Amino acid sequence: MPDRLQQAITVLQTRFGSAAPRPAQPDHPARPSGIAELDDLTGIGGWPVGRLSLLAGPIGSGKRTIAQRSVASASREGSVVYIDFPGRLDPQFLSRFGADLGRLLIVRPKNIREGMASARVLARAGADLVCLDLPRTREAGIDAELPHLLHRVAEATSTLLLIQDAEADDAVRYYASLILAFQRSAFIFGRDGDLKGLQLEATVMKNRLAAPGRRARWLMPYPIP
Amino acid sequence: MIACIRTPHPSLVAAWLTAPALRNQPLILGGLANERGTVIAASTEARALGVREGKSLNQAQQVAPDAIFQPADEPATARVRARLLATLHGISPEVAAADDPGYAFLRLDSLALRWPDRRRLLEEIVRRVESTLAVPPAIGVAGTLFVSKVAADQAEPRAPVIVEVTQTSAYLAALSVDVLPIDEDLRQYLELLGLRTLGALQAISRPAFRRQFGIKALEAYDLALGIDRRRLRRWHPPHRIEEAQPLEPPIDDTQALQFIAHALSERISESLLAAGLGTRMIRIVLDQEGIGPLLIEVSFAYPVTMTGEIFDGIRPRLLKASIAAPLERITVRAGRLEPGYMRQPGLLLRRDGFQESLADAIARLQEEYRPELVQRASLRQDAPPLPDRRILWKPA
Repeated sequence: MPDRLQQAITVLQTRFGSAAPRPAQPDHPARPSGIAELDDLTGIGGWPVGRLSLLAGPIGSGKRTIAQRSVASASREGSVVYIDFPGRLDPQFLSRFGADLGRLLIVRPKNIREGMASARVLARAGADLVCLDLPRTREAGIDAELPHLLHRVAEATSTLLLIQDAEADDAVRYYASLILAFQRSAFIFGRDGDLKGLQLEATVMKNRLAAPGRRARWLMPYPIP
Repeated sequence: MIACIRTPHPSLVAAWLTAPALRNQPLILGGLANERGTVIAASTEARALGVREGKSLNQAQQVAPDAIFQPADEPATARVRARLLATLHGISPEVAAADDPGYAFLRLDSLALRWPDRRRLLEEIVRRVESTLAVPPAIGVAGTLFVSKVAADQAEPRAPVIVEVTQTSAYLAALSVDVLPIDEDLRQYLELLGLRTLGALQAISRPAFRRQFGIKALEAYDLALGIDRRRLRRWHPPHRIEEAQPLEPPIDDTQALQFIAHALSERISESLLAAGLGTRMIRIVLDQEGIGPLLIEVSFAYPVTMTGEIFDGIRPRLLKASIAAPLERITVRAGRLEPGYMRQPGLLLRRDGFQESLADAIARLQEEYRPELVQRASLRQDAPPLPDRRILWKPA
């Protein structure tokens, strides 16, 4: 970028703050999700580091499968924390995705406070990826805890994924840098009639780091042993 | 390392404390000479005449007609046992009573920093026990309960026997099989086979021993090798830390209640600090005017000692309590007392303000909440294909 243009942008930023022009695609560090289609969709090559990414969608839309595949991919490179509020995490499913279970810490909290405190402490201690699988029912207290958690995540350059079945709170939507809405287009069955995977449609509802509104569709096979 | 402290039978010590003139006399406890009964304890002088515990008083009188016969003072005996344990508890809280009267165990590992010279520590133990019971104890030090007790049996007062862990087998090898806690049948069987020392047992392989003597005898075999899986069952002093405040006139004001609760917490904390203890449960009894008392129990995840910690725990419960009438009296009792030092490893962990390692963070969360909060999962390939069998959950 020419110096004069950069100077002009600096002047405008000083004068207008966030309303000033900014690069369309800032160079932001990202953690690859392990799914090429998803990395393309986010516009920065994966999940943004130090930010909150929200995976939204109805039950059975594949968001948990996507998150678990990302967890499996991240566990091969570093430490991963899975905050399992519903208590439904299946380590065997994760291992079929190639997860290194030795690097995976599973937190089973009794309430939001416990879960958020665990996420905060473990992110601060250097966990590379923290995946929060929220309970199906909306719980009070997330909005108050999220700013503290995000502060820790940003400080520690960790990546925070949040899975929510219910419609996300305003606070969660506000604090998320990336919101992906998932929809299941179809189930994929094998010749023997077994369920082999699903066809997903993902839409970028919000993206603070790249252009929002992108849409993609791909096949997501289940890891069959 | 574990020290086994051996004193004469507590009934004898109790008798000597009551009547010092009985020292150095052939003293037999269990009853008067003409009574039916058995010998509970006999002094060294009486034993030299052939009196043994378990013999009838009649037989004892026959072998030692000039001995002094007395009934044992059971309450005084219990007091002597408690005094021995309390004296050792003053050195370290890791103290345990042995099954045999007159024996006590003390774990020395946690004293290594305070007493780097083990000889001086043992001298201190002797000094304290002697000043309490007026008899010098014999001490055996070894890696396990069994070996330390055997060493204590061989030790003389003021001449402790120390068996290093690496020398355990060699030390035991020379001893007779009589030191093993085995029944008479097995003893005779060993005698029949010519196995008279622990070294002879050590020379036999475990499968061969099991084939010959059965699975029940394996415990004795392990002891012969110096393996003792028994854990030290910690003795707790009969502490009761309680503070009460009568309220005249009765109060019904929350602020005043908090003020008094804080003052009681301070007093409880002082008592805990003085004893080096922490409490895991605080029980508050609020005596209400005209109606029954209200009981509030507060549990803590770890033993707390300081006023702030105690008050922070009880304050919210007091504010939530359904108090229906003015209060006449408040009683605060500290329950589930544990050594206060148990908290110290937690203090060494770095907190949020510093960069702590993942292991420290996990330990902190587990201490603050519960061990099962953070878990690791592993798969057992050899298990049946059921989710609860195949996945092994373990606290991280």
